[in-house]
Amino acid sequence: MTAAHSLLVAPFETLGFMRSALVACLALALANGAVGTLLLLRRMSLDGDVLGHAVMPGAAVGYLYAGPSPTWLTLGGLASGLAVAALAGAITRRGARDDAALVAFYLVALSLGVLLVAWRGSNVDLVRVLFGTVLAIDRQALWQIAAASSVILLAVAALYRPLAVEAFDPAFLRAVGARAGYRAVFSMLVVLALVASFQAFGTLLAVGPMLLPAAAARCWSLGAAASIALATAFGLASSVCGLLISYHGNLPSGPAIVLSAGMLFGLSLLAAGAWRRLSPLFGSRP
Amino acid sequence: MNPDGGVQLGGVTVRYGRRTALEGVHGSFAPGSLTAVVGANGAGKSTLLMAVAGTVRLAHGAVACPARAQRRLAFLPQLAAIDRSFPLTVAELVALGGWREFGAFRAPSPALRARAEEAAVTVGLAERLRRRVSELSEGEFRRALFARLILQDAAVILLDEPFAAVDTATTVALLDQLMQWHEEGRTVIAVLHDLAMVRTHFPETLVLARRCLAWGATEAALPAMAA
Repeated sequence: MTAAHSLLVAPFETLGFMRSALVACLALALANGAVGTLLLLRRMSLDGDVLGHAVMPGAAVGYLYAGPSPTWLTLGGLASGLAVAALAGAITRRGARDDAALVAFYLVALSLGVLLVAWRGSNVDLVRVLFGTVLAIDRQALWQIAAASSVILLAVAALYRPLAVEAFDPAFLRAVGARAGYRAVFSMLVVLALVASFQAFGTLLAVGPMLLPAAAARCWSLGAAASIALATAFGLASSVCGLLISYHGNLPSGPAIVLSAGMLFGLSLLAAGAWRRLSPLFGSRP
Repeated sequence: MNPDGGVQLGGVTVRYGRRTALEGVHGSFAPGSLTAVVGANGAGKSTLLMAVAGTVRLAHGAVACPARAQRRLAFLPQLAAIDRSFPLTVAELVALGGWREFGAFRAPSPALRARAEEAAVTVGLAERLRRRVSELSEGEFRRALFARLILQDAAVILLDEPFAAVDTATTVALLDQLMQWHEEGRTVIAVLHDLAMVRTHFPETLVLARRCLAWGATEAALPAMAA
């Protein structure tokens, strides 16, 4: 009992920054479960990656201007993320989607961001921007993450039906007269989620807690709504697990969380595959 | 049934980049008409349907389709445009046909769900209602899409190769449904490859080769296809 307590609970009980990190990760998992699942269903995981890096140059400018202030990082990241989302949307609209152009965006954005930070900042700054500092989340950043997650959840709840139908059969949605720019709105939500994740996970890892739990949940071939719920649960589990691993192993937290999510994905792949093979033996499916 | 089921094309031109897919197509589909659109690959058949549905930008010309403004237009694109791995059951897919009633922000009503089941039974999918669309065969998936069309209750119905890769039994069943729509006075425009089917079942034909080669009664128009 005490061993389990000191292993699982004590780190959060005794250390304020561990609690902050936990709350931040939980808030992010709520938003990421919904956004990540829709991102996969809409086959936009590459777009997610691109937007994750697109946040970088703006955040770097914010960083240069005001140091590691969450507000300026957020504003800068939002600005450049939305700009690239608009450009990527324009590219996709011009007929066949051009993966090479999207990848070019992400390389240019990443390099530009690194140059900007390295120009004025130190290597420590660079590592912070690239990999995030989930253990250094302050109250202000926490509020921002909570606000962003709330906005995202409400927006997804309101727009869930058209977002899902557009992923399944876009021509149908247009023919029934839903002409709102759902794609653009969804890209904005992705950027918002990525900017919220940026502080905690940095530009290189921010897309991890979004895509990996969602990909793990998709292995279980549930309906879309159930998949979102499972992705959120996986996100919560990998956050707790990653934080504990990083605490006990004295390892960086962001990568530990992303690795935990990656392990959940691997286990889901194996388990769902085994289940599919074994289930006919138990006659659970006609 | 629908006085607003007509579609007028006024010099419709569509370009994809530098390539012209459709050039100066001029004419009209009468309300309640049943028209086959034929032509070689790349003749602009799908583009024509998209122009009527309003899902492609016109470089020149105009499409007048009152049904579209009233959201009484249904469009069945080629299957490649639909993501069949999406986790959706047949019942859910068919119920989407009632979108006009429930819209973007509400769930389908129980009455609508009942009508969706009825439509699924009509196309012979009674046993498949709870299945995922990813588990359906090609023919069953077409049937499900036709059931959604039944629910849409549209004045103008656009079908892009509705019988491609479908077995004979399914073709017969879906063709029956199509004839019923015609009898109900709906305007039906279908892109087809099977010229024998066009000859026997479709009173009007539009032959396309980027431009309109012939448009009118099938026996008069269809020879342009060979020329």
